[in-house]
Amino acid sequence: MKIRSDILRVYQAVHTWGGICAGMLLFIGFFGGALTMFKAPLERWVSAPVVPVQALAPAQVDKVVAGVLAQYPAAREEFTLHVARDEHTPAPVSWQAGESGHEVDFGLVRWQATLDADGRLAVTQQQPSLLAELIDMLHRTGGIPGTLGEEYLGIYVMGVAGLLYFLALVSGVILLLPTLVKDFFALRPGKNRKRFWLDAHNILGITSLPFHIVISITVVVFAFHDQFYDGLRGIVYRDQPMFSPPAIGATPRDATKLLPASELVRRVQQQAPGFEVTELLYMGVESPRPIVRAAVASPRHLVQAAETGFVIVQPYSGAILSTSMLPGQGNTWSALVAPFFALHFGSYGGMTVRWLYFAFGLAGAALFYTGNLLWIEKRRKNQLKNGPLPAQPRRTLHIAAATVGVCLGSVAGIGACLVAAKWLHAFGAHANSAYLTVYYTVFLACVAWAFVRGAARAGSELLGACALAAAAIPATSLAAAFMPALGMWTHTSPATLGVDGTALLLAAAFAWAATRAARRARNGAADSVWSAAAAPAVVAPEPARQVGT
Amino acid sequence: MSADVKRAPIRPDWWSKTFAGAVLGVTLAFALAGVFAWVGPGGIAAPDKSQFVMWLIAPLWLTVFGFVWLFRSGAQALLWLGGANLLAWGLLFWVRG
Repeated sequence: MKIRSDILRVYQAVHTWGGICAGMLLFIGFFGGALTMFKAPLERWVSAPVVPVQALAPAQVDKVVAGVLAQYPAAREEFTLHVARDEHTPAPVSWQAGESGHEVDFGLVRWQATLDADGRLAVTQQQPSLLAELIDMLHRTGGIPGTLGEEYLGIYVMGVAGLLYFLALVSGVILLLPTLVKDFFALRPGKNRKRFWLDAHNILGITSLPFHIVISITVVVFAFHDQFYDGLRGIVYRDQPMFSPPAIGATPRDATKLLPASELVRRVQQQAPGFEVTELLYMGVESPRPIVRAAVASPRHLVQAAETGFVIVQPYSGAILSTSMLPGQGNTWSALVAPFFALHFGSYGGMTVRWLYFAFGLAGAALFYTGNLLWIEKRRKNQLKNGPLPAQPRRTLHIAAATVGVCLGSVAGIGACLVAAKWLHAFGAHANSAYLTVYYTVFLACVAWAFVRGAARAGSELLGACALAAAAIPATSLAAAFMPALGMWTHTSPATLGVDGTALLLAAAFAWAATRAARRARNGAADSVWSAAAAPAVVAPEPARQVGT
Repeated sequence: MSADVKRAPIRPDWWSKTFAGAVLGVTLAFALAGVFAWVGPGGIAAPDKSQFVMWLIAPLWLTVFGFVWLFRSGAQALLWLGGANLLAWGLLFWVRG
């Protein structure tokens, strides 16, 4: 397909600038996003087994609910009944004080209730691990601190990055069209590094193009939906109601007359055959509008949230109030919207799609990394035959250092957080309060290191740091297993062992990349940004020679 | 129009085209989504429709933004998108009554 050269030139610029401006943020977004596919296993991996997971009969669960509601007024506002329980939700009922807002509250305290050996209510206070929240926050904000209004500032910055990313996708496709048939899937290794990276970049981009289009559009919507709704309310809907709220009852309710939880589960189950009810979120049980939001999971359906769909139930009558967030049962409009969420969250197709999205996420991160490498190579000043070594443009050196520092820094930072969670516990501290410090310390140290050492050396060194951080994850589990005196733990459920195994594989991949980068720094062309010979140390003027030496 | 008339190459006109894509693109998207909300299937009061209408804005906006540099010049982009805006907003006010 032929495209006029003037169009190609303009879109080449759109592609480069869109990519360079958004690339590093998107790398963090994609790497974090890949990890959030396994949010639950990661959370289970870092959660200390405080209370053993208890199997309780339905009647016992109802006893816990009744006891909690009678003794703890805070729970009447909102509490969760965990129908499916594992390492990080061992007790059947949990609640927390205060409202859960948009921001992650790293000082969050939660209460959990179960029955003790004598069948009495046993309530413990705990700090739930917020590792998954942290990773999710980094994924959504790119790690940019600060808030704007009630929302993280980084969400809006990511929204803009998502927009630039869409522009980069459109322009990338336009650029590729003329040579698509010829060059597609031609991965040309060999002497020409730039050719190889370009081929790799194109293959990654084209093979996952639909995924990337969906992600870019949804990111823009997630960032700006409040503004979009406000705009629609002001100019389109005006007096028309945009949402139809459920009817409000007239009188406050008496929490002792709640239907048994098992009965609610049964009704939801009837409404959603083939789904597993994982938790019931009770909201405002004594208010005029008491509702229970039942989370239902099924690998065979597209669901609305990250992992589950929802059914809304009235907890006193058991009436089903809404199934619009239940896949396949909403009306046409919600059925049209649900796929957008599911396609962003990868919440369909169960484990297969989770792994696929994990791979897409890592491949997406690689797409931005290779894009930056290409920009850097393009700006490279080549050495003329027998000529002096050219000084690379300062801007190129800076982008190279920033790319290495920011991208690898975010990887090493998240790895360090996981490891810190267990070790801090060994020393009697709780990781929640330390997560942000650990992440930003490692991240900023990596960025600083990249600028001080130059991209070439820092490249292999930081890849080494990533390999170490990843390897420390299974190493920590091993240490916990063989040295019980440390007071750590090793979970043996397949999900948590999967975390160890995946970390080990990633460690091997980073170590391999580190040796490749080191080899290129040592033996590669000296006029490259990635050559250690071109590092500032060599460019710096020689000290004046002293007489007699 | 004959094919062999040699056309002048498109001008980048970064500021005006980017402005047209960013601002006129989003206003056009709002108006089109609004028209769809009123005259699309089910009309304005269809339950759960508003969320779909909201979801329309981003793809419409991004598509306009993505292809805005294909206009021959910034002035052309402003003219065409401005005209499309006038039409769409006129239509919205008309159907909204």
